[in-house]
Formats: sequence, structure tokens, C-alpha cells
Amino acid sequence: MKIIFDKKGKRSQVRKFTYYAIAALILSFVNIVLLDFIAVGTLTPDFLLILCVWIAVTEGQFFGIIAGFLCGILFDFISHDVIGTNALAKTAAAFVAGWFYKENKANITIGNFRFLAIVFVCSLVHNMVYFLFYIKSTEISFFPFFLKYGLATSLYTTVFAIFAMLVKMQRKGG
Amino acid sequence: MQGFINFVAKYKEYFTFVALVILSLSFISLGDVSRIGGFRTVVIGTVGWMQSAFTWIPKPGALQSENKSLRQLNLQLSTEATRMRNAVIENKRLRDMLKLREGNELLYVPAEVVGKNTIELRNYLTIDRGATDSVRAGMSVRNDAGLVGVVIGTTDNFALVEMIENRDIKIAAKLQRSGIDGVIVWEGGEVFELKNVPKAYDVKLGDLVLTSTFSNKYPPDVPIGRVVVIKEEPGNIFKTISVRSFVNFGALEEVFVIKYMPNPERTALIKQMDELLKLRKGYTK
Repeated sequence: MKIIFDKKGKRSQVRKFTYYAIAALILSFVNIVLLDFIAVGTLTPDFLLILCVWIAVTEGQFFGIIAGFLCGILFDFISHDVIGTNALAKTAAAFVAGWFYKENKANITIGNFRFLAIVFVCSLVHNMVYFLFYIKSTEISFFPFFLKYGLATSLYTTVFAIFAMLVKMQRKGG
Repeated sequence: MQGFINFVAKYKEYFTFVALVILSLSFISLGDVSRIGGFRTVVIGTVGWMQSAFTWIPKPGALQSENKSLRQLNLQLSTEATRMRNAVIENKRLRDMLKLREGNELLYVPAEVVGKNTIELRNYLTIDRGATDSVRAGMSVRNDAGLVGVVIGTTDNFALVEMIENRDIKIAAKLQRSGIDGVIVWEGGEVFELKNVPKAYDVKLGDLVLTSTFSNKYPPDVPIGRVVVIKEEPGNIFKTISVRSFVNFGALEEVFVIKYMPNPERTALIKQMDELLKLRKGYTK
């Protein structure tokens, strides 16, 4: 039995995941340091979530879940949040995003408006999980709070997902 | 075993998801950040350093919010400054009043009206305080409303008060608002007349009339009454001003003798001048 190692393919996979890691670091940095400049009141977009959805749609649910967890843990560390909350929320969001994975059709999925809908749905899931922990110890009722902040944040995140969609559309066109 | 491995491999997404959820919940249950250790401190320190490096970039939202806060603070400080300026003015005014009060502190002897006499349009009161209570002729008498008259004679326990409703009375008075001086006289009517006020002078209905510092007989600033009528008659250079007294002379029961004596030197000089004028009049006749 002769085992053939696809060294070239493995190398490109490693390179791809390295890019994802670098992108995650840069987006975390942007999310923490530069978010004030684009914040609308208390609403801020979640760039890391867009990346998680991207990875889940491109690489599949399994990688998406792992990417979601790692991005979440990274964000929990660099933000002043409770460790595990963003990890859980982004893992759940990436899990949902993974359902929209279609092998070799990632470019089509991301390069059209469907991607925005996926980001919006995943963002809703993310915010639902996150706010469940956020308001757990307070007297605030969940649903009015979620409708006010969760929905608005999801919409704002979806607006920024347009740029990701446009990048992909540009590449397809090119 | 192979079957189990295949089962796990087939549903690896779900197993991974469950495992990561459990891991996340375990992290959350740790709760206390200090348990994560120094790593997070380093991360937070680094992030803080990076954030401080970008503070020079203007934030429109933050600037707007800061402007709003500064405007509110400005308004608050401006209100406070106005209040303080008002407090300074009020303080000065109160200090001035205090000085005036200290300078014009008058002692009062309370007395009850025990009799009232009217002799040819001259009204007199008898009060139950006399020489033994340090009441002397020449002291003024008032009640809570205003000037009543002047003591003209005393016994040990009683004093006779000549009321200002008296044809011989002439009181140097002034209008509180404008400081215009005049002379209050009583001509037998319900009101007093304020004489010697030229037409050009500023007098308004309702002006408060007080005793003047020009008076040698009465202490200054004792209320007399209020201007109720102002007339300007042709051929007369003075206004005709009627003043209604604050005192209800028909219902006087309690009064206060003001322990204020006119300056004797000044009184002697005026008396001397009066006698001189009378002599001249007699010589002319």
C-alpha cells in the first residue's frame, strides 16, 4: 500500500489557516482599538464574527466551529469580557454558519447577498447567546434588550459584511 | 470500536461543537479573571498601550458627546458664577444693612395708650410710661405701622404724646424711592400733605414716605405713609402731594417710645434762630 502525501495541498492549507490567524489578530486589534471611531452610540459591528462566518462557509462547519471558538477566546482575552462568553457565542454562530457550507461553492455563497443573510442570522444567534450571559445577573428583561441591542448590532455587523461580499464579488469578476 | 470511530468521524462537527461549548462554559464558570493569571494582564496592558497610541485620531461621536458635556458644564458654571455674583451683591447689601442697623439701633419702650384728647385740631395721646421708664419730652412715638407723634410732657408714670395729626406739626420727610425731601404737614383732613416738592421732581403714586435725616425732632427712616394723590396746579411751582398715614390713629392701643433724643446743640441753635426771626418780625411790625 502506497500512501501519497499531498504536500503541496497541505502547505497551502497551512498557509490558508495562517492567513486566517493573522486576519483574526488584525480584526481583533481593529475591534478593540479602532471600534470607537465607527461606533454608533453603543452599537459596534463584530468583525470577528464576519470572519468566523467566512471561515465556516469556506472551510466547512468543523473548521468554522474551531475558528469560532478560537476567535471568541482571543476576543475574550483582549477585551475585558468574561472568559468564555465570546467563545461560546462565536462557536454557536459558526456552527449555524456551517449549515450554509457547500463544497467548492464558497465563492458563490460569499459573493452574493446570501452571505449577508447568513451573517445576519449568525449574528442574531451570536447576540442571543452572548446577551443571555450579559444580562443574566441583572434585572433587565431579555427580549426587549435583545430586540433593542441584539437586532441593531446584527444589522450593523451585516452592513460591514457588505465589504466582504464586495471583495469576493470583485475577485469573481476579476 | 471502528464503528464508534466512524460514528464520531461522521458527526465530528456535533461532537466538536458540544466539546467547545462545554469548554466555553467551563471558562465562564471560572468567572474570576484573576484565575486566568498574568497572561491576560499582559494582553490588557498591550491593548491599552495600542489604544493610547491611537488617541490622537479624532472621534466624531466622542467629540460630539464631549462638546455636549462641556456645554452643559459651561452652563452649570455660568449659572454658578451668576449665583456667586448675586451672593456677593447680596452679601454687600446685607452688610450695609447690618452697619446701618448698628449705626441706627434704637431702643424702644413699649407703652399702652390710656387716653386720647383732641384740642382744636390738636390730637394728643396719654401713655402709661413716664419718667421712671426713662421716657423724656422730645422722644418720638411710633407703632408697628409708622410714626405716631412725639412726647411733649411726662410725669413719673405717664407721658403726653402730641400726635402727628396736629396742625403745628411739620415733619422733615423724604421719598424712599427717589430720596426727594419735603415737609409733611397736617391740615385737618384724612391725609397729610407733602410740601415743598417742585413739579420737576420724580414722585409716583405709592411712593413710601419716611422721616428724613434733616429732621431734628424725629429719628430718620421711620415710615410715615404712602403717596396717594399727586396734583400739579397751574401757577404753583410745587406739586400738591397727599400722603396717607400707615397708622390708624382712631384705633391706637399700643405704641413704642423711641429712646432717641434730638441733638441738644442742634435744637438750641434752631431755637435761637426761631427767636431771632420772631424778633425781626416784631421789629418790622
